[in-house]
Amino acid sequence: MILTVAWVAPLLGAIALAAFPRWSETRARQWATAVAALSLLMLVIAWVGFDAAGPLFQHVDELRWVPSIGVAYRVGVDGIALAVATMSALLFVAAIIYPVNTLGQPRQYYAWMLFLQAMSLGVFLALDMLLFYVFFDLTLVGMFFLIGRWGHGTPDVSALKFFLYTFAGSLLLLLAIIGLYLSLDPYTFDMRVLIQQQPLAGSGLYAGLVFLALMLGFAIKTPLVPLHTWLPQAHVDAPGPVSAILAGVLLKMGTYGMIRLPFAMMQATFAKYSLIVGIVALVAILYGALVALGQSNLKRRIAYTSINHMGYTVLGIAVAAALFVDNPAARQLALTGATVEMIAHGLITGALFLICGSFWQRTGDYELDHYGGLAHQVPLLTGFTVLAAFASLGMPGLAGFVAEFQIFAGTFAIYPWLAVLAVLGILLTAALFLDMLRRLFFGELPSHLGQFSELKRAEWGVLGVLSLGILVIGIYPRFLLTLIEASSAILVGGR
Amino acid sequence: MLWTLMGVPLLGAVLLFLAGQRMTRAVLAGSAGLVLLATLVLAGLAIAGDWQGHLAWSDTLALTLKLSTAGSVFAVTVPLIALPVIVYAGYHSVELRDDYRSVTASGERLIALLLAFVGAMQLLVLANDFLTLLIAWELVSACSWALISHRWDQKEVPQAAAQAFLVTRFGDLGLYIAAAAVFAGSGGFGFAGIAALDGGLLSVATAGIVLAAAAKSAQLPFSSWLFAAMAGPVPVSALLHSATLVAAGIYLLIRLQPSLSAVDWFAPLVIGLGLVTALAGGVVGIFQGHAKKLLAASTSAQYGLMWVAVGTGFPGVALLHFVAHAFFKAGLFLATGLAEGQTGSYQLQDMRQGRRLPGIALATFVMSLALAGMIPLGAAWSKEQIAAAAGQQSAWLVLLVALAGGLSALYATRFQLLAYGRRSQRARSILSYAPPPSRAESGSVLLMAWMTLLLSLVWWPDVQTWLGEALSISLPKSNAWELIVSLVLVLLGIAAGTILTRRQRGSRVWQERIAAWFGLPTAIQMIAQGVLWLCHFLARFDDRIVDAGLRGTARFASWLARLNAQKGEAFAEGVPGLVTRLSEWGSHWARQAQSGQTHHYYAGISLGLAAIFLILLIGALL
Repeated sequence: MILTVAWVAPLLGAIALAAFPRWSETRARQWATAVAALSLLMLVIAWVGFDAAGPLFQHVDELRWVPSIGVAYRVGVDGIALAVATMSALLFVAAIIYPVNTLGQPRQYYAWMLFLQAMSLGVFLALDMLLFYVFFDLTLVGMFFLIGRWGHGTPDVSALKFFLYTFAGSLLLLLAIIGLYLSLDPYTFDMRVLIQQQPLAGSGLYAGLVFLALMLGFAIKTPLVPLHTWLPQAHVDAPGPVSAILAGVLLKMGTYGMIRLPFAMMQATFAKYSLIVGIVALVAILYGALVALGQSNLKRRIAYTSINHMGYTVLGIAVAAALFVDNPAARQLALTGATVEMIAHGLITGALFLICGSFWQRTGDYELDHYGGLAHQVPLLTGFTVLAAFASLGMPGLAGFVAEFQIFAGTFAIYPWLAVLAVLGILLTAALFLDMLRRLFFGELPSHLGQFSELKRAEWGVLGVLSLGILVIGIYPRFLLTLIEASSAILVGGR
Repeated sequence: MLWTLMGVPLLGAVLLFLAGQRMTRAVLAGSAGLVLLATLVLAGLAIAGDWQGHLAWSDTLALTLKLSTAGSVFAVTVPLIALPVIVYAGYHSVELRDDYRSVTASGERLIALLLAFVGAMQLLVLANDFLTLLIAWELVSACSWALISHRWDQKEVPQAAAQAFLVTRFGDLGLYIAAAAVFAGSGGFGFAGIAALDGGLLSVATAGIVLAAAAKSAQLPFSSWLFAAMAGPVPVSALLHSATLVAAGIYLLIRLQPSLSAVDWFAPLVIGLGLVTALAGGVVGIFQGHAKKLLAASTSAQYGLMWVAVGTGFPGVALLHFVAHAFFKAGLFLATGLAEGQTGSYQLQDMRQGRRLPGIALATFVMSLALAGMIPLGAAWSKEQIAAAAGQQSAWLVLLVALAGGLSALYATRFQLLAYGRRSQRARSILSYAPPPSRAESGSVLLMAWMTLLLSLVWWPDVQTWLGEALSISLPKSNAWELIVSLVLVLLGIAAGTILTRRQRGSRVWQERIAAWFGLPTAIQMIAQGVLWLCHFLARFDDRIVDAGLRGTARFASWLARLNAQKGEAFAEGVPGLVTRLSEWGSHWARQAQSGQTHHYYAGISLGLAAIFLILLIGALL
């Protein structure tokens, strides 16, 4: 019941916003914040009630829907889904509170935000493949309107490109889901049955094609090189908080989907192709970091680091899938690391994009060369940016390190060469973030930035909470690792 | 409990940073000093009480702290060095607000960061597994980045800080790989796991550790990042060279040498790297005209000697030389800062502060002698021990170590004569109105000099035995000839240094190139430029080529749509139209057949019968 409340509450909240046309901007924001926070609270309660020694899926709700074709309303979480969903809910609360120019349509903006939150949480909570697919597609709708209506630059073009590209991915996903569905007897969309039965194990070409379609669909969403070009453009034209959601929540659906569907349901097939997936991930890691370093636009640079970081996640997943290596400890480490990377990237890149939003609100300019010397004038903004940048480059004591360290260690035990090449990624991210900090905050202050104002309370409050999360995970991640390992141990067959 | 050793300075740093509103210099320096004093006391208690620390992140990941011999020595030395340095920083590098009483925010940040630097270093030397080590290892780098960027408003400073961070982080990658190799071989991250590794993994782990240590210890080919680090304030350099960042590299080698020496290429590699750096660093020091850079080159060279000691199998000797080096090198940096305070420049030929600051000049003289390796100072003894350790390998090695010692005597003499020598003619002082150093500043320098003098006690055999027992280290047997050769070379170096300083000429191009690490920074710059060029190329490639596939698909789709709209629609319209026209024509023809005249009908019927008959005939024949 608790999970149902968690995703239905924002949906009802969105409908309420649409139904009351008289609400002022403040009122709308307060309402949206309260509803989003309620959803977060439900997930926190679910977290507290999660039994690490219990079965894989917990808090399960099931409701008959279309029994003739095996569709039912099924929600439930394992540790991985719960961790990602809770992070997403937190990020939604942060993005809703964060000040943004709603172009005179605050109700609509917050309603779409809440709708997007409901659909996003639905993706992470669904245990029925068809339900998963429906949520997966509806997030595109929410994001399309948020970018198209409240974006800047050429928002229509970016939103359309985003929608069509990722929608093409969803179609592949739909085909693959039908392929999986048809392999079962009796037919059902129940994920638990699929995970338990592994219906496509050892069925050659058919399994290979279903796997390819699944991975292509998720690779577009993640995104992996070379399917990533929708991402930077969508980010640059989206408002800051929407970018934070896009990077922090929507990209996770790609990697979460990889864990939930191909990794869990087609272990034998994934094992066969794990090295290839690992190499693709390595390309994303290095290419994403190199291209990011070549950007002179603040937001594009951060957008490309997302490709790098999601590459680490995919690398961890690919390594964990290498079933043929008799080292469950290393595979579990890699899978746990991949999940922590999702959480860490959500918080860190979410914070970085919110910061981008603050820059845009003040100057309407993302060009790095137009900035400089701000450290003295805006110490709070500088401090939060430095913290987020160092977290993103994998500094120990902050969340990113916990993830990347586990991924590297797990990868080395299985594919040593991939690990040796992948660590170069953290050198490149260090270079690109130090360069970014230097160009934004150090050196001389250009005269046109004399009026650049310090963070407002809502801004530093939100960034403070996200930074606290980054710090806590970096220093003592036990609470998180216990939750994730409860599931990763079962998924790699260690328990 | 062992966590307090790291926690106290870190907590102190945070509190000082948050609560440090409107403090005077005395309060700021005093409270920072108290924090370090508390750390020092805690270190003593920890060693006496054999404290431990353990923090489990998960079943696989745990942070463990344990006091090793080397770790104990470091845990005491680091706060001991940092204490005078931080007091000095409080008066030398912290600026006052306009009211001339309270310190600026950037000053508070500097002191807080110095404390955090000490805390991170304490964590590093207490770590008992690779995870904890890596955390501390990178935290030390991050602190140094923030410290070097202290004057961030100057354009080159953040660039220099980034260079120092990136070069050392390149080394850190080795540590990531080493940690992963230990996990792959032993299933855990503990230092003890190295012993469980087999050939290939052990080689990988060793290579990673040596890479990390070389980058941190500023050995070749990484030496030149220390020059970039000179963009930081003087106390930062003093701490970074003597007890923290650079020391981390040699600490790691000392700590892990027993496990790593099982690899057969470990000893030759470490000796080779150390020796080449010691000799090259000496040459760089001879031609360097920038006071801090001269000392930086000497740091690389001195750590090179410690590497030789580790390579020959005497990590204890390296440990002792580290302690001796820490005191005199920190003191020399602080003294350089005082000379700069008088002249406003780090150029050696502008200094010559012997007459203005006679007391400091004397203290610096003691420490320069220690740098030169002159009897009876403690550093000379530990250097002789390194020579003796080299003697266990071959006589040639002894000669090379002694030569490196001679070079250090040469540049030490040059440094002393130029920085704190007396002016030959009554040249005008550039900043003659500069105030004399405060008591705290000169006190810190004097304290370092006294400590350097105190370390001379190690020449006393009883002290040596006590050291050997207390630290359970083995010392090499030294020969008389080794000592004599070393001494002769030191004296030659001093003589050459004196002559070189007297006969001063304008430096030539080749000298400047040598002084800048034989063009090493240029090479690093070129690598960085190359990577940047690649990045810009890839960024354009991504926009134009990769995205072109997408745009091409979109264009193809709209072309298809247009085609469909024009040709396809025409076709779709045309087919039913044609059918209509055909049927219209057919019906017209049919209507014409209904003429109403009987002979037309009969003709039609007979044609029809003929056709039927023909079909029947064909059917019968086939």
